[in-house]
Amino acid sequence: MANHKKTSDDNLKGTLYATFGIGIIIIVIWALCFNLFIDRF
Amino acid sequence: MTTAVTNKEIIKEKQLPKGKNLTTKDRLIKVDRKDAKLALAHMYVAFTALLVGGLAGLLQVFVRSGAFQLPFGIGYYQILTVHGVLLGLILTTYFIMGFQLAAVSRTAGALSNTQRKLGWIGFWLMTIGTVAAATMVLLNEASVLYTFYAPLQAHWIFYAGLALVVVGSWIEGLSQIMRYVQWRKENKGQTSPLLAFMAVVNNLMWFVASLGVAIEVLFQLLPWSLGLVERIDVLLSRTLFWYFGHALVYFWLLPAYMVWYVVIPKVIGGKLFSDALARLSFMLFLLFSIPVGVHHQLTEPGIDGFWKFLQVVLTFFVIVPSLMTAFSMFATFELRGRELGGKGVLGWFRQLPWKDSRFLVPFIGMVAFIPGGAGGIVNASYQMNQLIHNTIWVTGHFHLTIATAVVLTYFGAAFWLIPHLTGRTLTSRMNSLANTAGILWAVGMFIMSGAMHIAGLLGAPRRSEYSTYGGSEQAAEWISYQFAQAIGGTILFISILVIIGVVVNLLWFAPKGEEEFPVAEVAEGGGSTPAILENFKVWGVILVALILIAYTFPIFDILSNSPAGSTGFKLW
Repeated sequence: MANHKKTSDDNLKGTLYATFGIGIIIIVIWALCFNLFIDRF
Repeated sequence: MTTAVTNKEIIKEKQLPKGKNLTTKDRLIKVDRKDAKLALAHMYVAFTALLVGGLAGLLQVFVRSGAFQLPFGIGYYQILTVHGVLLGLILTTYFIMGFQLAAVSRTAGALSNTQRKLGWIGFWLMTIGTVAAATMVLLNEASVLYTFYAPLQAHWIFYAGLALVVVGSWIEGLSQIMRYVQWRKENKGQTSPLLAFMAVVNNLMWFVASLGVAIEVLFQLLPWSLGLVERIDVLLSRTLFWYFGHALVYFWLLPAYMVWYVVIPKVIGGKLFSDALARLSFMLFLLFSIPVGVHHQLTEPGIDGFWKFLQVVLTFFVIVPSLMTAFSMFATFELRGRELGGKGVLGWFRQLPWKDSRFLVPFIGMVAFIPGGAGGIVNASYQMNQLIHNTIWVTGHFHLTIATAVVLTYFGAAFWLIPHLTGRTLTSRMNSLANTAGILWAVGMFIMSGAMHIAGLLGAPRRSEYSTYGGSEQAAEWISYQFAQAIGGTILFISILVIIGVVVNLLWFAPKGEEEFPVAEVAEGGGSTPAILENFKVWGVILVALILIAYTFPIFDILSNSPAGSTGFKLW
């Protein structure tokens, strides 16, 4: 079997980053609001 | 934009008489002409509602800026009701029913005469109900906003009209389900067409969810507004409303997901990432759309904290199918972008058809759904709900989700669906105008919704008319954001006018031709679809169990501790 090195063109690495990116955006927005909540209440 | 003739989906050669050649028309799968007429009838009502409801929205943001007063004795809460009912209930329900009917006809086959007749009966019931409810709002007899919370009391005809809209939609949904059942009988053991399956899931969710509002209207609001009973149990009515009200959000959203999963991959020339993943996410939405309504009532007394917490947890499960959908969309985009030569980790992104309004306009909607979803998680986070409850943050939130993610997807679909139904084409000029409308919408909504979110965090209430609150310092902080809302709202109204222009063109003036109803095939390696995903009995049992767990005790508590109730109020 040929020693084929996988590149980002062979997989869904971009999809993985993009989906995790959305998760991170959600967490950051939530954390900012949580900070406001803690300050206020 | 004319469709390529190389559509492989159905070649009707065997049905053609000897010696007759295939025409472009034969190569495309068309929605049956009689079904198309019914679907188009829905589009007329939907886009009329968009124009009138949009105008009411424009007047609202003007009033809230403090620099404008409504003429002719028109009330602020009257136009707020027009805006909410026409855009939140009428535009959406008509578009959804028209789109789903076309989708079922396109993928499962033409409706039978009986099924189509049911569709027309449903359509006319909905329309009679819409006219009745709209008349009462215009006569200023029903300025109770689209949530029609008791103890605000509208004229009984308003409630009866809305009940007819719901009953009409049930009958229409039934006709679509009957066509799907017929397909399954005729094709035993085969996986059903994905779009038809999705339409059935949405209809089932709608049936189960709208039972709540039907009970509220029939057994509480109607007898109360008719004067048959003097008082109403407000908490029960609100709980029944939100049993329905949150699922309503998903009734709006799932047709947008149908477009994202099945139509967009075809528009970009790619394929659906996985049929099984799409079906599983729809079944999860069916399960987690309904037993979660109490997260709209987190600040209300009368519901025990445990049940609120349980429904918050169930609400958070909706994140799972939402991120599954995000993953599936990105995977579809990446696979197609790489086919077109995109390199590197994110190079595929540039290869997507950014000038095609059938893609760009819904894509803007997808982007808006990211902050919209994040804001939704804040709303549903039990204690944090206090931060934004009843503030204009919530209005900003649903203007990102329903009024951008969902409706821009509807508009993007209308740009191919309407010409498909009318036998016309989307010209490149109209395509450019449609793109312009999408970009204007994005800019207008960024300004308006952004200002709403910030003002909400500063404590500005939702729904309420302009007021300085007796010269309050805190209220003065909101004014600049209210001006920003007026600017954003004006840009949005210009976008609506452009969209109406494109729709009018597609209905009556665009060149005759053939526009494709895009339906994607599943990608190679997408895997087979497990039969369990179409076993509605199993999912139905889980759904009923979840609803019983989430609602039995809260409703029992409300009934057994029922106060004397409230008489009706007409504050407008």
